[in-house]
Amino acid sequence: MTSVTDISHGKEFLARGNVYLPHIVVIDKIIDETYDTRTFHFNFKDEKLREEFTFDSGQFAEYSVLGIGEAPFCISSSPTRSDHLEFTVRRVGRVTNALHRLGVGAEIGFRGAYGNSFPLNLLQGKNLVFVAGGIGLAPLRSLIWNVIDNRDRYKKIDIIYGARSPADLCFKYDLDTWDEDKTVNMVTTVDKGDESWTGREGFVPQILEQVAPSATNAVAIVCGPPIMIRFTFPVLEKLGFTPEQMITTLEKRMKCGIGKCGRCNIGNLYVCRDGPVFTYAQIKGFVSSEY
Amino acid sequence: MKNREMEQRLRHEAKTWLEEGKVDYVIGFEPGSLKFTTTPLITKDKDDIDRLVINPFMVNNLSVYLTEIKGRVGIVAKGCDSRSIISLIQDNQVVREDIIIMGIPCPGLIDLSKVELWLGRDRDELDDITRDGDRVVIMVDGKERNFSATEVLFDNCLSCEFPTPQEYDVLLGETSSLVADKIASRDKIKKLEGMTSEQRWEFWKGEFNRCLRCYACRSVCPSCFCKQCFVDESQPQWLLPVPRWQDNLMFQIIRNIHVAGRCTDCGECERICPVNIPLRSLTKKMYELVGDLFHYQAGMDKSAPPVLTAYEYTDAEDFIR
Amino acid sequence: MTNSKKINKKDIGGLLKEWSQEFTVFIPWRESGVAMLDKWDGTDTGFIDWYRNTVKPAKANFFPPMEEMFRFQKGREGYHIELPLDEHKQLIFGIRPCDARSLAILDMTFTESYQDPYYLPKRNNAVLIGLGCLKPYDSCFCTSLGISPAESTDVDLMLTDIGDQFLVKEITQKGKELIARASQVEEATEADEARAKEVRKAAYGKVTRRIDTKAISEKLLSCFDNQDYWEKVAAKCISCGICTFLCPTCYCFDINDELVKRQGARFRSWDSCAFPIYTKMPMENPRVEKWRRVRQRVCHKFEFYPMNFGTIACTGCGRCIRLCPVNWDITQTLDKLPG
Repeated sequence: MTSVTDISHGKEFLARGNVYLPHIVVIDKIIDETYDTRTFHFNFKDEKLREEFTFDSGQFAEYSVLGIGEAPFCISSSPTRSDHLEFTVRRVGRVTNALHRLGVGAEIGFRGAYGNSFPLNLLQGKNLVFVAGGIGLAPLRSLIWNVIDNRDRYKKIDIIYGARSPADLCFKYDLDTWDEDKTVNMVTTVDKGDESWTGREGFVPQILEQVAPSATNAVAIVCGPPIMIRFTFPVLEKLGFTPEQMITTLEKRMKCGIGKCGRCNIGNLYVCRDGPVFTYAQIKGFVSSEY
Repeated sequence: MKNREMEQRLRHEAKTWLEEGKVDYVIGFEPGSLKFTTTPLITKDKDDIDRLVINPFMVNNLSVYLTEIKGRVGIVAKGCDSRSIISLIQDNQVVREDIIIMGIPCPGLIDLSKVELWLGRDRDELDDITRDGDRVVIMVDGKERNFSATEVLFDNCLSCEFPTPQEYDVLLGETSSLVADKIASRDKIKKLEGMTSEQRWEFWKGEFNRCLRCYACRSVCPSCFCKQCFVDESQPQWLLPVPRWQDNLMFQIIRNIHVAGRCTDCGECERICPVNIPLRSLTKKMYELVGDLFHYQAGMDKSAPPVLTAYEYTDAEDFIR
Repeated sequence: MTNSKKINKKDIGGLLKEWSQEFTVFIPWRESGVAMLDKWDGTDTGFIDWYRNTVKPAKANFFPPMEEMFRFQKGREGYHIELPLDEHKQLIFGIRPCDARSLAILDMTFTESYQDPYYLPKRNNAVLIGLGCLKPYDSCFCTSLGISPAESTDVDLMLTDIGDQFLVKEITQKGKELIARASQVEEATEADEARAKEVRKAAYGKVTRRIDTKAISEKLLSCFDNQDYWEKVAAKCISCGICTFLCPTCYCFDINDELVKRQGARFRSWDSCAFPIYTKMPMENPRVEKWRRVRQRVCHKFEFYPMNFGTIACTGCGRCIRLCPVNWDITQTLDKLPG
């Protein structure tokens, strides 16, 4: 597939040694984003890997608590700020609970970076509309910082972000910074506010429709819970975005992360190998609600 | 009643139920895609009803579908199947008013793997198998081979105590002409009872080394109706979902304990195991234990509480030390 | 003068013995009535009389039901991770053409992008001695997928049963070298080759089950969203794992860790897209309904795999039909695809 809607890698991956062996990384900072979400700052234990490792915004890795299990999370830091790496975890199951029980200094396994990345070449010179919900901001955050750190390559930036309640907003420190940034239009919303909330209220797709960013020379990048994604695409279409102008990053149950175990497929595409970044045109095709 | 007449009556009834809107689905048996095989037919369409059959190979326990189908169902049930249905009613998994049971008095079903063992040939190499009362006639290589029914019926059929359905709305045919051989049906269990516990442990270790954890035994069992099986839990993780003999053995033991008092010895688990683990040696033994300890047989009384969820003052307490 | 060799059936034991100096020899074996490939005990070659096909497919020798990926220990300075030792060299005697082709199909997945470090060494070190079928099952449909029950180029040596002897055809260089060293092997005559040709033709004709694979990907694509059809198709499936585990081209696996005090291991084991929790995530499961899982299985084998690798991921071995608890038949499903 070589059409412009296909943004999967096509790179030949050269595995050095055993691709299933995790590298050891050490946690050096923990930030509580919300009552059930944490961001971990970490670095490779091995000095050489620390220098050599590179990744692109949108890629993910498989993180292990050895003996408990392994789970995929995007790398939520930007490759433009690579003195350390970050990933963000919501506590929902066996592995994520085990991760939340770890403290600074703990060692975990790291396999990656896997998957494709946001197509920066397609985004340059364009107006960017970021639409995110809840913890879905994590993969977009890597791209947003990447873009802001190379600000002159891109045109307008709109960020529309929402969560269920003020207590569920993630990366509040980033939201504040982006709000103060005059070159960024930061719109934050919650589904339902509390007594102290003075900002907007409404679901992300609704607010997106109100903000109504222009589709001319624009690309929309969407990430959030599947239900939010399913409601956001029609709104973008209404605003005039074509399926090739809509990019999303998907989440599926994964194990191997390298396109072997068969689990994460949408049609003939594997989210771990041909994704997790897809254009709407790629996945709209023949699969009904498999995402 | 001959099979042909029963089939006609079955098809007539089933068609009527669909036409009159008495049921949403009919579940029965139709000829399979392989020789001497039947396969479940689950349909809303009255044009499919003419495919329903009654023959000596209708092994499936159709009650397994009752816990997943939404709607009213007309279901074909043999003796053991009807008891599975009653067991499901006892567990509040099926509402009696939502089903119409077509009972078939069962003469026992032919175990093809026994036939294959006797003849040294596979089932697709046989020309014909017919049941005639207490004899079974098999045509192979143009020649006729005769067997007594007790030589080729399933082990659980040989020990069947209730071949005529316990609960039904319509009964096809008169009571069953089952040929039983209770002693032969307990051969394997008797052998195990005669072993020392070390020998038994080695035996089961050998058997469960072959287990692949395909979970067919769980999927085909009507008593395994849990929405999420204990092996699929990750918090806590009771067993490693890896086919080591230790985990395999533990899975089967715990599964047996979970279905104790619900299992009606339909024999499906042992029939379908792709690696021939003699699962009935566990389930049947459990069935007998439940009978000995609690004087209870599964699926006989739809108003009775499931045996392991009810407490009687007269229950045995000698195991409490 | 022909290009083929032959060996007497009664000399097979001797030949296997010679080969067991260098390889771990696997032959068809029956344990409790279950046919599978097992380590040769050194003497018994009775399988020549009863063997049709195994229950567990040949993939189990390269991609076993359970495999240790690595072991680890937590010490004071951190984790120490160990890889399992290398596997022995396998010689698989009696692999059928359907199973041999299935390995070639699996190779595509395990070499694509990343090289699988557990499957590939076993595969590269193994020797496959193919044996043509004499008695295909009534559930076999290999011929519809471009596979002959009697011939194969996916093996190193291909044997044909011509009565008291096997005709031996050299397929690869590895096979050539292997047979060159064998002492019981003779040159085959033209009569032998003619006999073999008859045997192969007869076997081919015995495969009576057929499916039409023409445009099957397109047909599946067009009915992907037909929920009514798939619900009907999936109605009697009970969501066990037999079809996927016994399928020679199914390769889905699960990864699980075990921890005992301060050490443990990571395993991979066979998994199935038919299981209800296969795609389960904490908040939702895109395939919670059975019909979606059944659709996934059929479409993966006959539509998605061809889209990715150019070949249908099925070899027509018929195990899924023969061993399914409810006789769910994929050939019937494919035949009745709505246009």
